[in-house]
Amino acid sequence: MSVGLDVPFLVKTFFVALSGVPIALLITIVSLLIALPLGFLLALSRINRIPVISQLARVYVSFVRGTPVIVQIFIIFTSVPLLLAPIFEKYHVKTSIYDINPIWYAFIVFSLNTTAILIEVFRSAISTVSKGQLEAAYSVGLNNVQAFRRILIPQILVVALPNICTATVNLIKATSLGYALSLREITLKAQVAANVGYNFIEAYIDIFLVYLILCSLVETLFKLYEKRLRKYKAAAA
Amino acid sequence: MIGGKVMLEIKNIHKSFGKNEILKGVDLQIDRGDVVVILGPSGSGKTTLLRCINFLERADQGQAIFGDIHVNLKSATKKQIHQIRQRIAFVFQNYNLFTNKTVLENVTEGLIIGRKVPKADANELGQQALAKVGLADKLNSYPSELSGGQQQRVGIARAIALNPDIILFDEPTSALDPELVGEVLTVMKNIAKEGTTMLVVTHEMSFAKDVANRVIFMDGGVIVEENSPKEIFSRPKEERTQHFLRRVIPEDFIYNI
Amino acid sequence: MQTYFDSAYIWGALPQLLSFLHVTFMVAGLSVLFGTILGFILAVMKLGTSKASIKIANGYTTILRCTPSIVLLFLVYYGLPAIASGTDLNHLDTSIYVVITFSLQFGAIMSEVMRTAYEAIDRGQYEAAVSVGLSPAQAFRRIVLPQASVVALPNFGNSLLELMKEGSLAYTIGLVDIMGKASLIISNNYNSHSLEIYLALSLIYWVLSILIEQFFSKLEKIFSKGKLVIKTT
Repeated sequence: MSVGLDVPFLVKTFFVALSGVPIALLITIVSLLIALPLGFLLALSRINRIPVISQLARVYVSFVRGTPVIVQIFIIFTSVPLLLAPIFEKYHVKTSIYDINPIWYAFIVFSLNTTAILIEVFRSAISTVSKGQLEAAYSVGLNNVQAFRRILIPQILVVALPNICTATVNLIKATSLGYALSLREITLKAQVAANVGYNFIEAYIDIFLVYLILCSLVETLFKLYEKRLRKYKAAAA
Repeated sequence: MIGGKVMLEIKNIHKSFGKNEILKGVDLQIDRGDVVVILGPSGSGKTTLLRCINFLERADQGQAIFGDIHVNLKSATKKQIHQIRQRIAFVFQNYNLFTNKTVLENVTEGLIIGRKVPKADANELGQQALAKVGLADKLNSYPSELSGGQQQRVGIARAIALNPDIILFDEPTSALDPELVGEVLTVMKNIAKEGTTMLVVTHEMSFAKDVANRVIFMDGGVIVEENSPKEIFSRPKEERTQHFLRRVIPEDFIYNI
Repeated sequence: MQTYFDSAYIWGALPQLLSFLHVTFMVAGLSVLFGTILGFILAVMKLGTSKASIKIANGYTTILRCTPSIVLLFLVYYGLPAIASGTDLNHLDTSIYVVITFSLQFGAIMSEVMRTAYEAIDRGQYEAAVSVGLSPAQAFRRIVLPQASVVALPNFGNSLLELMKEGSLAYTIGLVDIMGKASLIISNNYNSHSLEIYLALSLIYWVLSILIEQFFSKLEKIFSKGKLVIKTT
């Protein structure tokens, strides 16, 4: 096997890999948009022990956190057509179930996955913020929504932010599994390019670099946001 | 064990943290049996002085004589530090009991591991020390099960059991609830009566008045005044000493000496 | 493609899958072992005084934490033979590539777990230990390390679980553990009834994760004697 790297290919494929970034980001952002509020609400339901929802959430979290993401992807990918097929037939939907854009599967899987993770993140964050804060808020006349929005949520956010950052980075890394859905994200695009001349090493180096840059950027952004939130916190103290 | 009268001599100790010079040249001599109390406002360097003596901080400059050991405080070797720590015991403001060990184990750890005393003998010594501080019934408890006052008494027992030449006390009662301070001060008074050499940083004026034979007032990284408790409290010579005492001591205390 | 669902396939697949569980365990176990050693070395580097060591250790950790498992797997799988050009690696068992990959990854994670656990221990414990005459090494070994280990335990358990789940990706380079076996079963059935096989697979992983969680829970309780335990719901 040759030791030298095919540098022109390396450079060209880097941009091929880069072209997969929008899809990865799209999946990440959509999943976060769904998972953040949903995770927060379900975390509250766990803490307040709302019947039925609390237990269901517990089982749900246990399953999602106890099984590999790739298995979850395959389960959704194979079960959704089965479930939709009779519905499509009944309503005479023209699209074949096999023509559904794989990105919808990605949205479903990663939203469900991230929600479960965030439920745990928020559960621990909420419990660290003292109950006295809520009581104090009520006693100065704030109602529930105001108390949450102005007092509790900012504090919970500061505590939860590092873990949300980790969850986001993990989410971006997990999009690499989109290849299993034939999703044209970073990994698959570069792999396809590599298949032509068997330049796998160069391709994977490029993929690796793209993820490295992406994740470092996300971490830096989160750290900046955390600094801003903390300044707010220290100033208010 | 140090023979002779002078236990500890410190010469010209300097210590800075970053740009702040905390100790600006302090000289100190402790004789056998002395109970020396160091008073002073916060930031005066009293705690830093104590920690430098035990090498928990490394001084920037200064000489020390511990009995027959002469060291340069900045360049002391690991071996010298180890030797010196065999002769000095330290009682911390936050007790710092080993949370993963029982009370008895806390007291015997230094003996067994640090000084290679056989376990049976160490346990014997440990139990004696704990009896002296009034905690003979708590041998197998864990620190988390004890009150602050009890934990500090264990800390003192841990120091006594080592039979050191000097015991350094770093604000031993400052972290305690007021009602627990008394039990710790009583223990300290008892061991002082037995002739233990003690160097105590504290705000407890009653201890200084009743037990100490020397009081040192520090401010701004230097020793401002040094004298017997009677002299310091009734006839403080320096302006700064008077200023400090006026702030911390109620009026009639001074006249009642 | 799948047209109907037959739960009999789930129960049928379970024994077949379970017979390959030992491969999953072996690979995970070796990765944990080597990864922990690597993690310890990195943690020591991060907590030391050498600026170069700190930068290297932190750099390594960041790079590995930003790399998806599957990319790392392929890099090792294709890259190792290229680096070791000359030696014939064709007969190297797939599991070796897998263990190397996940050891590298676990090492990065563990270095952070160990570092934060060490920093969580109050410095006063160390100071008290040397004050009663313990050498720095003795103070670390007898006082700091036991306490740090207890702090690290929950994180270690979580990381272990993550490792087992990420390890499922090893099937992409041909490892036949429970995931690999599942792939084989599915392709043998012409991709019909793949859902049932995946459900069987997820069942096994789920039970394993619950068992691991319970085990570490019990472990934490045992080692928490002498500490005030903070109750969480």
